[in-house]
Amino acid sequence: MTGPVLAADSLRTPHVTLQLESERPSITPGETLWLGLHFELAPHWHVYWRNPGDSGEAPKVNWQLPDGWQAGEIHWPIPKRIPVGSLVNYGYEDHVTLLVPIRVPTTNPTAGEVRIGADMTWLVCRELCIPERGSLDLTLGISQTPVDATPTVATRFDKARGQWPVTLDKVANYQATDSITLKLSNLEWLPYQIDDVWFAANVWGPIAPSGRQSWRIDNGDLLITAPPGDLPPSDEEPLHGLLVVSERIGGERITRGFEIAAKPAEIAAATPDMTFLLALVFAFAGGLLLNLMPCVLPVLAIKALGLVTHTDDQRARHGFTFLAGVLLTFATLAGLLIALRAGGDALGWGFQLQQPLVVIGLMYLMLAVALNLSGVYQIGGRLAGFGQSAASQSGLRGTFAIGVLAVVVASPCTAPFMGGALGFALTRPSHESLVVFIALGTGFALPVLLLSIFPTWTRFLPAPGAWMERLRNALAFPMYGAAAWLLWVLSQQVDATGLALSLAGALLLAFALWWLGQNDNGARIHRVAVTLGLLLSVALATQAGRQDNAALTALEAQQWSRERVADLQAEGRPVFVNFTAAWCITCKVNEQVALSTDAVRAAFHARDITYLKADWTRQDPNITRELQRYGRSGVPLYLLYPAGGGEPQLLPQLLTESLVLAAIDQT
Amino acid sequence: MNVRTIVSGLLLVAAGSASAAVKIGQPAPDFTGTDSNGQQQTLSSYRGKFVVLEWTNHDCPYVRKHYGAGNMQAQQRDAADAGVVWLSVISSAPGQQGHVEPSKANELTRSRDAAPHAVVLDPSGDIGRSYDARTTPHMYIVDPNGTLVYQGGIDSITSADQDDIPNARQHVRIALNELLSGAPVSQAVTRPYGCSVKY
Repeated sequence: MTGPVLAADSLRTPHVTLQLESERPSITPGETLWLGLHFELAPHWHVYWRNPGDSGEAPKVNWQLPDGWQAGEIHWPIPKRIPVGSLVNYGYEDHVTLLVPIRVPTTNPTAGEVRIGADMTWLVCRELCIPERGSLDLTLGISQTPVDATPTVATRFDKARGQWPVTLDKVANYQATDSITLKLSNLEWLPYQIDDVWFAANVWGPIAPSGRQSWRIDNGDLLITAPPGDLPPSDEEPLHGLLVVSERIGGERITRGFEIAAKPAEIAAATPDMTFLLALVFAFAGGLLLNLMPCVLPVLAIKALGLVTHTDDQRARHGFTFLAGVLLTFATLAGLLIALRAGGDALGWGFQLQQPLVVIGLMYLMLAVALNLSGVYQIGGRLAGFGQSAASQSGLRGTFAIGVLAVVVASPCTAPFMGGALGFALTRPSHESLVVFIALGTGFALPVLLLSIFPTWTRFLPAPGAWMERLRNALAFPMYGAAAWLLWVLSQQVDATGLALSLAGALLLAFALWWLGQNDNGARIHRVAVTLGLLLSVALATQAGRQDNAALTALEAQQWSRERVADLQAEGRPVFVNFTAAWCITCKVNEQVALSTDAVRAAFHARDITYLKADWTRQDPNITRELQRYGRSGVPLYLLYPAGGGEPQLLPQLLTESLVLAAIDQT
Repeated sequence: MNVRTIVSGLLLVAAGSASAAVKIGQPAPDFTGTDSNGQQQTLSSYRGKFVVLEWTNHDCPYVRKHYGAGNMQAQQRDAADAGVVWLSVISSAPGQQGHVEPSKANELTRSRDAAPHAVVLDPSGDIGRSYDARTTPHMYIVDPNGTLVYQGGIDSITSADQDDIPNARQHVRIALNELLSGAPVSQAVTRPYGCSVKY
């Protein structure tokens, strides 16, 4: 063996240190020699990927090699998206190693030394761009038997290889319309805890790098929507690019890249069973239905009756003020949900009820409303809309507040109808989600709005009088019921101490409100007492909310996990999964009427079906992801996996005994 | 689905999202801007003539490539001789690279022996954003009816090296020649390359 030691050449500019390095210290004829171009960059400066994005330029190499030698393509590591003002570039910061395979012929040379030259041009940018160039060279000896890389160099090269994307030979399709939609099926390669997904075309043109992309998992397919670039792909040629998937594991972000070649194909615009328009209709109908929920009806009934005392003109004004209150609250709620999801939280509709503090707060609110309806105290009659002789400023403000209140008390009662619509909405771009929520709000506000615009119905009512007060008192009871139900939900989330604390808070609240009712004249001492009572109940609630019930487990069903399902499937056993939550009324009803009957139990037993329960009472990102896989953003969801493996059967959201038995029969 | 398109369209507009700002075959966004001599330059006032829009930033190495080699000036002169209106647009924001006062813009035109019809100063970036201009240079051609007929790079070799100019396909020159002889543009969309526009 001859030749000098590995001589890596390097050069330095104000922002870049560039080094050319060979993996092996000497060359063996007939082998593939890997060379590395290692960029060290000044902080915040970057160089570019093969497609630089909206601006910029990828590094180029012109190799100076002996005759017969062949340099391969640069192997590009997974780039980052680097925003530059409103533009987006694809590139690398800090440091990057570009590896290039060099095919060494068997014949030239067979001994001595070889000089390898690389004439480079590259663009390095921060906000400003500097085109740079330079030549590097490396002299390597020839060795007839391969010499292993030194551990340091080997580690460096292996690390660089670890940054390469993998080629995904799965079916990928795309459709170019107003936007480019990519669809990937068979997602077993996809990480589980996805944080973000984005796509970059290999070349300039097909998609706009700075455009906002969205992704969702729908019926086992990954769908990515991206705005087209200046030169959208024609409908015949495949679209080559890189899919970058980030996952978050224990607070750490891991990024993987997948090279894909998507073929043109028709891709359904939305979930087959739910289009945007249908989601709007369902949301609207769901909103109408919400009016009938026990926690909402009393508030709205009182509001509607309050309209009787107004003149026609005032009535209409109140109707629209109510609509405004409702829509604004729904929009705020939707905005909050969208923002939280954009922040990476795995949330679905009903997310509010996964926080014990929110449940306690709602419980107190229901109690306070109920006590008001019982006549324990008045808030200047405003809350109930009584005693308002004119459409005064404060009267309208009160109506607006009732709109807000109505939405807040309605939020725990998601009508079964709305599950699908809201689930769909949350998988869509945020502006579409918002529109679905607005449709929901419109449906919700419509009855009161109509009653206020068309006052003819008031003729069928007896004249305002004592009956109104009686009705009002009677309507308090559904509210007490709602409070009791929320307490039960809370009992699933906190331990006995927490429950005791929140009940003590409720007692204090009731006492404070009673005090308020007794001393309407507003003497300072009374105000202080009431405020103290309320503050104390809030303090108790906060304490109660901390008493997390960690030991929460299902009773007869086994706990769900994706791994558990996989294991059972591998054993060839049929599996039934019930995605449920304590605060989900539909789930509880289904469990009562369809899943707990003797016939269903017997059928489960006869077929040896393992019953798994995924409890979403508290937030659980694993369950949220699984729900998303099936196009849902909330519970219930029922999956029946057949014996011997395979895709599960989806059962409807409203179950009956016969329906479950029929499904079991088919497996 | 029509309703969906309309609704999302409205929302996109409301959200101020800027995507697919300009399209070949569609009307080019009209604008009025002040040029380096204090004159108002309105695109629609040039109906009946071809108009070339050139986004520029004199300190950008890719702009210097084409001005340093005289390529840009030569194309400006040839365009003027053929009755084409050539407007250079500077969208660099104050304090950013390439931002110039009117006197400096005129000084640059003199010292580089450039021959644009006018240099439009767009420090707010409004004109640049309406065209989704991303690089310097980024080139557009508007036909006598006000329709956009070309968008993209000045030429085909995306480097900062003057030596590449003779070997590159001069996209704008070829497109103008085709348009002036009544032929369709053979490559109406190409990759713009260079520095990012410093909005």
